[in-house]
Amino acid sequence: MKKKLLSLLLAATMVVSLAACGGSTSNTPSAEPTPTKAAAKNTPAAQATNTPTPTPVSVQEMKFSQAPTVKSTAKVEDRLPVKTDVFIEQVDANGNPLEIGVYGGNLNLLGGSSGWNTSRAMLETIIHYNTDGSYYPNVIKSYSVSSDYKVWTFKLREGMRWSDGEPFTADDIVFWYEAVHKTNFDTKADWTALRENDEKNGDFAVLTKVNDYEVTWTFQNPKYPASFIENGDFKWCWAPEHYLKDLIPHSVWAESTLSDEEVLIKAKEKGLDFEKVKDLGKQTTYYFWNWPGIPTLNSYVISTEAGLNNYKGATCEYLRNEYFWKVDANGQQLPYVDKLVYTMTTAEGQEILLFLSGKLDVIGVTMDKISSTLADAGDSADLRTFSGSGWGTCQITFNYTSTDKNLADLFAKSAFRQAMSISVDRNEVSGLLYDNFLDPGQACPSIGNFGYDEEWSKKWTEYDPAAAKKLLESCGLVMGKDGYYDFADGTDLLITFYYVADSGDDKTYTVLKNYWSKVGIRTDAREFTREAYDQKIDNNDWVASCGPTTSIGGLGLNDRPAPFVPIAEAAEWYGEYGTYYQYSGEKGVKPTGDFQKLVDLYNEWKATPDRSKKDEIALKIYDIHKENLWSIAYLEGIGSYKLINSKIHNFPDNLVSADLYQYDNIAHFWTFFIK
Amino acid sequence: MDTNTNCNVNKDQTKSWDKIINSLKDFFGKDIVRYIVKRILMFIPTIFLVSFLVFFVIQLPPGDYVSSEVAKLAGEGEYLSEKEANDLRAEYGIDKPFIVQYGMWIRDIIWTPTDSQYYRINHSHHNWKYSFEQKKNVWTVIEERLGITILISSIIMIFQYAVSIPIAVYSATHQYSAGDYIASIVGFLGAAIPNFVLAFVLMYLSYKWTGNAQVGLETKEGVIGFLKSLVIPIIVIGTSGTCGIIRSVRAQMLDEIGRQYTLTARAKGVKESTIIMKYCFRAAINPTVSGLGGILSSLFSGSTVTAMVLGLQIQGPQLLAALQAQDMYLAGSIVMVQAILVVIGILLSDIVLAFLDPRIRYSGGSR
Repeated sequence: MKKKLLSLLLAATMVVSLAACGGSTSNTPSAEPTPTKAAAKNTPAAQATNTPTPTPVSVQEMKFSQAPTVKSTAKVEDRLPVKTDVFIEQVDANGNPLEIGVYGGNLNLLGGSSGWNTSRAMLETIIHYNTDGSYYPNVIKSYSVSSDYKVWTFKLREGMRWSDGEPFTADDIVFWYEAVHKTNFDTKADWTALRENDEKNGDFAVLTKVNDYEVTWTFQNPKYPASFIENGDFKWCWAPEHYLKDLIPHSVWAESTLSDEEVLIKAKEKGLDFEKVKDLGKQTTYYFWNWPGIPTLNSYVISTEAGLNNYKGATCEYLRNEYFWKVDANGQQLPYVDKLVYTMTTAEGQEILLFLSGKLDVIGVTMDKISSTLADAGDSADLRTFSGSGWGTCQITFNYTSTDKNLADLFAKSAFRQAMSISVDRNEVSGLLYDNFLDPGQACPSIGNFGYDEEWSKKWTEYDPAAAKKLLESCGLVMGKDGYYDFADGTDLLITFYYVADSGDDKTYTVLKNYWSKVGIRTDAREFTREAYDQKIDNNDWVASCGPTTSIGGLGLNDRPAPFVPIAEAAEWYGEYGTYYQYSGEKGVKPTGDFQKLVDLYNEWKATPDRSKKDEIALKIYDIHKENLWSIAYLEGIGSYKLINSKIHNFPDNLVSADLYQYDNIAHFWTFFIK
Repeated sequence: MDTNTNCNVNKDQTKSWDKIINSLKDFFGKDIVRYIVKRILMFIPTIFLVSFLVFFVIQLPPGDYVSSEVAKLAGEGEYLSEKEANDLRAEYGIDKPFIVQYGMWIRDIIWTPTDSQYYRINHSHHNWKYSFEQKKNVWTVIEERLGITILISSIIMIFQYAVSIPIAVYSATHQYSAGDYIASIVGFLGAAIPNFVLAFVLMYLSYKWTGNAQVGLETKEGVIGFLKSLVIPIIVIGTSGTCGIIRSVRAQMLDEIGRQYTLTARAKGVKESTIIMKYCFRAAINPTVSGLGGILSSLFSGSTVTAMVLGLQIQGPQLLAALQAQDMYLAGSIVMVQAILVVIGILLSDIVLAFLDPRIRYSGGSR
């Protein structure tokens, strides 16, 4: 689990990832999802053995076959797209060849109250990412963009069908755009991917159906990949017109002649019992995979059987999509596993008992539970590691826009932040909080991630209380008779840390405060509910924040830029500077100095189409973070860990967990088989 | 002739009406019926009061469903603006004053008019409102777990009474015997050990011995599998109740066995088994029967903490989840149904008690 175990693999990923980022050209995509050059190099030795290499594929000669449990009487060839447009799964997200699987069995997964939980195993999106950040067209056959970046073209897979057997065509994209998205029926009309100038209220792009299998998106201004095809929000752009067209009322879509009530009645007839049109819209077009009867393009569809079709229920089943459009290298229609069975637990820790009892096949575990659970499970379990994208663990940050001038001036001083950083014994903290699983670290990209810099990861990490005291004095603080520093004007220095209750942050503060106290920094803490905490941050009514993370960093600006640059009312480390940008100067505090530089660089990054140039700008942004360390982390970034039934094949190791990659979705569950 | 016939018919009709009225008079004149009618009339304001308190208490924590939803979505990387959150509040009607929300809630449960959209869509006059969290009608959500909850709770209840009453009678009739001591020790242990601790221990032992920790209910492996998965819940939930019943029935039995009527019966040569079962036991069971009032409610809600530990997807954990998410109509409805069942349960237990023990008289009823 420690980085020593991963360093070889991840270092290789990092080097290759940078190379790949520089070389990728999103406007000349490959129609076939073959291993990327980068990923191919990144083959972990452990996986290369015992892995049958798929036979070379000649699509025209390929004979398709299907699972024995398929109920449809239509031939498998008729349920798949035409041969040239079938998606052939040959490699995993690391670029390693997939084993040819066998059909059958169920995959038992952990249920959850979040609508996204079930999506991880089955959601099919416009593009798919590899762990190195490269990507390829997924649901769409290909995409291209005009040289001026104003016209994007999507080509679809001919013969592709919805899970109910109806053809999936350009009409479904036009329907989604005109009836579902632009009308805000999906409640997501403010996505910037389809708006001019990446503004929430910018004009919508013009969508044109070229033919049944081709559409174009036309913008008045250049629309670069980062804000269109790579935009993390823009996961799909389709909805089943044949199913949904009589579920949208006139009040939402002018072309409809139905009243709200008529629509709700029709929805009820289809088993969709919603009280409000707004809920009907959001659930059937945004969380569509969770509602029975709605056709999808995903690998599995929710059961229609009562008692098994509530994703928040005790047990929920998702059955094989018999019209799924992917095959393996031997032409076997995917997925291999018959159904996904989600089981809900009622208390934390039950998932481990269920896993050990053989009733769950995949569970997430925290580091401290890995060895004991593996020991109990014996040969029946394997570990899979997802490297995290967070910038360090056990973080603190300060309110740089505090209305208390003394505090704001102090926080702005680099020497003060350095003192707060080196006054803590990181090794001891790791032992106390994480059973020594995490190494000392800093708020910086994790090893293996874009922008990783060893020097940065070690900056201000050496434990030196004496030096910390000198730095504090250099900030103008004066040691008081009580053994704590005061401001030069004689007022007491007290730093109040705010944290969220029941999030584990209280432990972080309890451990850290003793170190600060030893160097003469008086602190206290206030605990809030998540809602009250967010309100304090939004209202600029806070002093300092403490927790496992403080909303800085992540996979990269492509994923979500707000954790890197002060552009939203979102992150603690830039306080009101972000509010200023979000509200175009109407609210918040105008950024100055390096905060302003971040904003300028972000604007430049947005306006740059070329991926390698964008990365150069991103690295400049990172350099500013490295210089300032507005957030301080005491330990390295934390990954996520899965224990899996050892009978599951094709579950890759060393994946990357990130929002942009849809977290576990990058494991490609539809290629799993049980043997 | 015709006139006479008509007269006779009229007389017969009058007689039969008199008969009905007299029998009704007799019926309503009885203490028990008066008592029941009175209790049913009291039932209505009680339910209103309980429902008001429930709704009030549920709204006490700071924030509302929308604020907890906003925080949850933020955790998933989805951000709602202040305007969107306020729109949601307006959409769900939770921006209205508390008393208005309560009034609308209770009104729609009692009678949703025919000209309402809800009636036109659902053809029901009772709108239990909407579960924000589940995006379903509250009654649909409650119904989903109602069957399994009642089934499990009934099995546990039957287990409790079937085991505890014979043990209690044995203990009382064999006072200070080895069996009595064993029953007492087990009884005290069962009452003293918190259910959730016992649950953990049994789950651990089950895992160690069978490789299966028995978390949750097994619904996919037939009746045997289902019953197997019920063993731990029955032992955990059942034993705690069993202990209480054993102690109570045993004490009452000892009290009755020592009474003069028992002595007299014995002196007159009545069979010992008849004395115990027909006289002593009948009197001793009274406190247990009066405790039946809570059973209907517990059948519905289950034992929440133990259900959480054991992973039983019954109504109790659902209530907790609703409270945590501030899903007020769902939480309110579950608690209100429980309250109604408590009131009905008490009523039923009083009726059963009256039949069991004719000495019991109701206020204002002695003739």
